[in-house]
Amino acid sequence: MTLFLLKRLGHMAIVLIGVTLVVFALIQLVPGDPVRLAMGTRFDPDVYAALRAASGLDRPLVEQYFSYLGNALTGNLGVSFRSGDPVTLLLLARLPATLSLAIASLVVAGLISFPLGIHSALNRGKFSDVVVRVISQFGVSVPDFWMGIILILVFSTTLGWLPPSGYVAITENPWEWFRRVLLPAITVGTASGAIMTRYIRSSVLESLGSDHARTARSKGLPERIVMSRHILRNALVPVITVGGVQLAGLLGGVVVVEVVFAWPGLGRLVYDSVAARDYPVIQGAVLLIAVLFLFINLIVDIVYAKVDPRIALS
Amino acid sequence: MARRGKWTALAAAAGALMLALTACSAGSGVNVNPSTVTSGGTGGGTLVAAIGGQPDQLDPAVTTSYNSFQVLENVYDTLVEPDQNLAMQPALAESWTTSDDQLTWTFKLRQGVKFHDGSDFTSADVVYSYDRIIDEKLSPSWRFSAVKSIKAPDDSTVVITVKSPSPNLLANLGGFKGLGIVKKSNVTSGDIKTKPIGTGPFSVEKFTAGDSIELEANPDYWGGAPKLDGVKFTFIPEPSTAMAALQSGEVQWTDSVPAQEVATLKNDNTITLGQVGSNDYWYLALNQAKSPWKDVRVRQAVAYAIDRDAITQATKYGNATVNQLAIPKTSQWYTEYAPFTFDEAKAKSLMAEAGVTSANMTFLATSDYPETVTVGQLLADALGKIGITVKIKTVDFATWLDEQGKGNFDLLMMGWLGNIDPDDFYYGQHHTDGSNNYQHYSNAEVDRLLDAGRTETDQAARKDLYAQAAKIIADECSYIYLYNPDVLQVWSTKLTGYEVRGDRAIRFRTASLAG
Repeated sequence: MTLFLLKRLGHMAIVLIGVTLVVFALIQLVPGDPVRLAMGTRFDPDVYAALRAASGLDRPLVEQYFSYLGNALTGNLGVSFRSGDPVTLLLLARLPATLSLAIASLVVAGLISFPLGIHSALNRGKFSDVVVRVISQFGVSVPDFWMGIILILVFSTTLGWLPPSGYVAITENPWEWFRRVLLPAITVGTASGAIMTRYIRSSVLESLGSDHARTARSKGLPERIVMSRHILRNALVPVITVGGVQLAGLLGGVVVVEVVFAWPGLGRLVYDSVAARDYPVIQGAVLLIAVLFLFINLIVDIVYAKVDPRIALS
Repeated sequence: MARRGKWTALAAAAGALMLALTACSAGSGVNVNPSTVTSGGTGGGTLVAAIGGQPDQLDPAVTTSYNSFQVLENVYDTLVEPDQNLAMQPALAESWTTSDDQLTWTFKLRQGVKFHDGSDFTSADVVYSYDRIIDEKLSPSWRFSAVKSIKAPDDSTVVITVKSPSPNLLANLGGFKGLGIVKKSNVTSGDIKTKPIGTGPFSVEKFTAGDSIELEANPDYWGGAPKLDGVKFTFIPEPSTAMAALQSGEVQWTDSVPAQEVATLKNDNTITLGQVGSNDYWYLALNQAKSPWKDVRVRQAVAYAIDRDAITQATKYGNATVNQLAIPKTSQWYTEYAPFTFDEAKAKSLMAEAGVTSANMTFLATSDYPETVTVGQLLADALGKIGITVKIKTVDFATWLDEQGKGNFDLLMMGWLGNIDPDDFYYGQHHTDGSNNYQHYSNAEVDRLLDAGRTETDQAARKDLYAQAAKIIADECSYIYLYNPDVLQVWSTKLTGYEVRGDRAIRFRTASLAG
């Protein structure tokens, strides 16, 4: 186990260095000059030169990269061109909103997908299975932007039950946090839940027809035990992978929902920073998202081995 | 292995995430209950105002974002400031005189003004604020291009000497909050970026990244204590969410108003719609470094081929005023002049006269300003009829600026916002040496008029100079001006004492929340 972890952490370091290089190169390839953009439509050569020097953009690219990498290794991700704040602070300020929305969305996705997926598998071909499959198809297809606006229209504007936007930290006021996270979490969770429903359904179906399930039944085990110990547990392995991928995706990829609900998450920070060509923030945020992604993968692999002892950590 | 073990791993994973979550949330978060924001206001309540995005930072001399200035308008003061008609009125300076040769301006400062931290405001703060912009070449430094020196002979006097007579000095000093008077210790500590200290009607209490900025009333404000206890600016990027928040009572003011909803909002008696013409203008510019656009007849053909009314309707749903010069009627610099009509036959004959039967045109549009994309589509249709094939190139604004700078366009559309003094919106754009003359316009007579306008101190004579220049600029299509858009804002009927302004300055100093 320790050896496995060390090896994985080593791999992660290599991947992360690769990420810094790719992001740095991509940023340079994208047209658009952060200094010109910061100046807006009014161009002044003196101001331009002064701003370029102040942001370090007048240095050679290789020097810029290695100084960035060197600083990043010591935890210093640089300073935002736009706000002048340390990137680390900007990212940490956004992390709670992102993580809390991601986890809440995953909970919503789980609440939708487990009952529906299992029910649908157990009633394969029946009417309720068809209904679930149609619903999940609907959930996958509905654009989150539209879904978000409809939820606001129904639950905020019309019924007045929930606030349409804004964020409150869970540590500050858990109830307000819950009221505000509900609509975005449902928006995001529905799409994730729809995808997971389909995986759970097919995974349970496969397990239902497997030899070990038949053996368990023929031993005379009660259906409840067969279900919980032999079928669901085996069906869980691929579902964990999908859940992990969904969670990782939620950490950086829910920009649209963050915009609709004015949720101050990482996705919006990345989006705004790309629009502003705020290189240090883009680099820092992508690096952070990559780190989170890799850690979730690692955790998924460990959980894997725990759920299915046949999978060895080596 | 016991089942418990497996779930412990899952729980541990979730726990690790929760730990990261709580560990990072210290210091962030918002105050959800407005009544807990205590202050020295006079009990007018706390206004929640939704703006379209987060200010990049709050240092007035460094930021260029409108979102920042929406907030800073309420935090900083300038020496003079524009009234509703954009004429400069006393602010931190109570009075001023100019020497006979027009080269020395002496400002008498208001007495007893204090910064938000309680320290006294003196002439040294003015000198520091201005010298900082000039010495560090910060973005508003062009406003001091005529300034030779800034001195403080005593605590309440500031003397500005200029290289040549500068009739636009007041507009430069007061027309823009970027020239707000800052406090040196606030700048050197770096706090100014998130917790600026000014002399304005409100002070910044809390900046929550990605979510909101909370201001508190300054009971010692020289113009009288604000009626509101405070203002919370919250960032809502999606206009339909902002409108929903307004209708649900979560916010009481927003300028995220979709133009297509104005007709509906006018009939909604639960809110107040503020609509006023602005001094912003939107224009088309043809790249005169390229053929055939260097031929004035081809440019005029384009000007005749476009239907300004249709453009205004399509981009702003009619919430704008068609104009063939830069500045609208409400401005003291307005000149009535409309040489072009929508006339396809005239356009065709001008094309024929120029000997151009067909041409290809790249229209540079940017998705960050959707009106440019809409107009591109209208132009593709209109110009196709006179033999010009339009290819619309849509890029993001950063790329757009790059392409404009490199001259990679035949035609582009853009706007100039917050225009007050004509030197500001003619010289850089149309003078042969202007730093924003991307269309490469050059006319010796226009250059002479614009140079003269810079130093002419007689108001009537100056107005005449700019009227002459503006007519030539329009005739020769250096810019093809389109329209002045309206400023649109909506607020709760509970909000009183607030007025929408044509320069988009958001001033809450006299506002109050009833009930």
